[in-house]
Amino acid sequence: MRKKRVLYVLITCLLVSLLTAACSSGDKPAESQSPGESGDEKVKLVVWIWETAKDGLDLNMDAFKAKYPNIEIEFQTMKSTDLYSKYLISSSTGDAVPDIITVESTNLSQIVQIDALLDITDRVAPYKDKMSAYKWEDATKDDKVYAMPWDSGPVVMFYRNDLFAQAGLPTDPEEVAQKIQTWDDYYEAAKLVKEKTGAMMYGDSKTNSSNRMFESMMWQRGLWYFDGDGNVAVDTPEIKEIADYLIKMQNEGLVYDARANTDPWGNAIRDGQIATVVGGSWHDAIIENQYSPADKGKWSVTMMPKWSKDDKYSGANQGGANLAINKNSKHPEEAWQFIEFMLGSEESQIKMMTGAGLFPAMLVDDNASLEEPSEYFNNEPIRKVYAQSLANTYPLAYTSDFPMANKLMTDVWAEVFLNKVSSDKALKDMADELRSKTKRN
Amino acid sequence: MKAPKWNKQMLVAPYIYISPYFILFFIFSLYPILYSIYISLTDWNGSGEKVFIGFDNYMQLFSDNDFWLSLWNSALIFLMYVPLMLFVGLILASILNSNWMVGKGFFRMALFVPNFVSVVAVSFVFILLLNTQDGLINSVLRNIGLIDNPIPWLESPWWARLSVAMMVLYRWLGYNMLLLLTGLQNISKDLYEAAYVDGATKIKSFFYITIPLVKKMLLFCTVLSTIGTFSLFTEPYILTQGGPLNSTLTPVLMLYRESFQNFNFGYASSIAVCFFVLMMVISLVQMRIFDEKE
Repeated sequence: MRKKRVLYVLITCLLVSLLTAACSSGDKPAESQSPGESGDEKVKLVVWIWETAKDGLDLNMDAFKAKYPNIEIEFQTMKSTDLYSKYLISSSTGDAVPDIITVESTNLSQIVQIDALLDITDRVAPYKDKMSAYKWEDATKDDKVYAMPWDSGPVVMFYRNDLFAQAGLPTDPEEVAQKIQTWDDYYEAAKLVKEKTGAMMYGDSKTNSSNRMFESMMWQRGLWYFDGDGNVAVDTPEIKEIADYLIKMQNEGLVYDARANTDPWGNAIRDGQIATVVGGSWHDAIIENQYSPADKGKWSVTMMPKWSKDDKYSGANQGGANLAINKNSKHPEEAWQFIEFMLGSEESQIKMMTGAGLFPAMLVDDNASLEEPSEYFNNEPIRKVYAQSLANTYPLAYTSDFPMANKLMTDVWAEVFLNKVSSDKALKDMADELRSKTKRN
Repeated sequence: MKAPKWNKQMLVAPYIYISPYFILFFIFSLYPILYSIYISLTDWNGSGEKVFIGFDNYMQLFSDNDFWLSLWNSALIFLMYVPLMLFVGLILASILNSNWMVGKGFFRMALFVPNFVSVVAVSFVFILLLNTQDGLINSVLRNIGLIDNPIPWLESPWWARLSVAMMVLYRWLGYNMLLLLTGLQNISKDLYEAAYVDGATKIKSFFYITIPLVKKMLLFCTVLSTIGTFSLFTEPYILTQGGPLNSTLTPVLMLYRESFQNFNFGYASSIAVCFFVLMMVISLVQMRIFDEKE
């Protein structure tokens, strides 16, 4: 008997669920048939984005909805690396979704190369001079532009003024910039900090480096994995110089051995074991909110050191994002309206800078909000430092094979530190591998 | 007239009944396999045009040190955990199979849980545990005085391989234990009683009765583990990203790297094809051994 009753219950459940399913599928067309209030047909745009970038756009969503009531935006959030591979699949099948994708500058050129984005050359023309010049190069292929610049990561030096004071170094940002002008000064300061406080100068992994420090040092001198003609340049003397400098820092025990922007690295920051972070402006939020919220007033910001005092450029860029439109999107016009509203207006850009820490690629040098002091950073107007760094940044592009070059570079350090290979040989081997894999010279 | 029609139905019906599997197989397995064989003969970035280049991808692959290294890594990781896993699994299974054991259900479940907990979550826990500077394992080892300097669990090639192997062991021990347990349960109790009467100790009956009789199951587990080890992906992807120095790079991880990070789909497909052939050969060899024992 009992078995039978269970059976009845199951069957009833099944029927009920079937019935509701039938009803709900019947409801849908009825709903969409009801005319839109504005009379216009509503257009829905799907935007692929990651969480921190979405936080920025959210700040402007109300204003956007007020201006464009007929455009509905659906954000689908995912990790940036997943976003690229998913987009690759959807574009190779000619999918119309997503309409808009967010792309980091590090990967932009790679995505542009696969011809999956909409040509927006004419649309971005009015913004050509309003954005940081370096941003356009990765968005361009054969003189056609495929993405709109969003934000930059001007590289600056964050430092702990309590550790600097203990080491007998100045703490005022101006004085620090004066005292630590070159990377050699930085090295001397690192030795002092280590000796007096036991703290390390910065954090970077020996075997699993993100290469961010190395890349910033290349960038500010206009050097890169590839030279202006697109040839592999990793084995040039200038780049070896930089590599040797970083190897010296590691070998003398001045570096905390943890990959930048990982938890072990962040924990060391929290525990005061790392004295400086030479990195993109977005590190302010990472230090302030994520790892070291208790250390209010202990951090300051100044310009990053240069290679030599006479170098024309002192700044570098780290990261930054762009928005682009899917080649197969059904609503390219509306998609551009969205992008233009978000990234083309100074008002939206400033809101994202002050509210979400996204430093605009748009040139906003005269904007008053740059002067705003940051409470956490000793009431210092940190954004002025960012703007100064950006204005002094070498106009360099990441290029399409950057992701591969970055990965191979990680192994160069591992070869040097684990297998005791000379930097000469490690860089030469890496350059050769990069040449054969990218079919460059 | 009725009989022939019935016969005809009899002839056709079985094929209709099994057709769903074959239709799905053709769409979702056979077609993709053939398609990737085709892609492996082209140079393709995933979106643009496919340029036919013959066997260039294969030539490049066979001279690619990373590919051979990835196979070598898999073999090393296999050796690091499979013998240990099968041995410990068998001991645990015989304990759970013995009469005196209490709480069998609980232990069976407890050992099996790691297998269905999300591997990504487990990997992140392992990263925390294995962290060189302040991970729990190094802290404990240091506090009880076993080591002076922290062990670079994920930062040196051999330790990284071992860490990956240990994580795989943790995940699959329970699963293999269950397989072995089913093997044990098929062994007649009479044999043990007879041995007991003849004066054999527990340990002797383990080595002379249990092991020979579950040999088939052990081989089955080995076949599964071989395929599993060579197609390892999530564990090394999250723990070490294949590093340091590609010491934990597996063929599948390399395939992922070439396709979704470097956008070389042609090259990645040639890895897939070689991997397929290799796995087929290894499985055939192992099944051959499997047959002979029967």
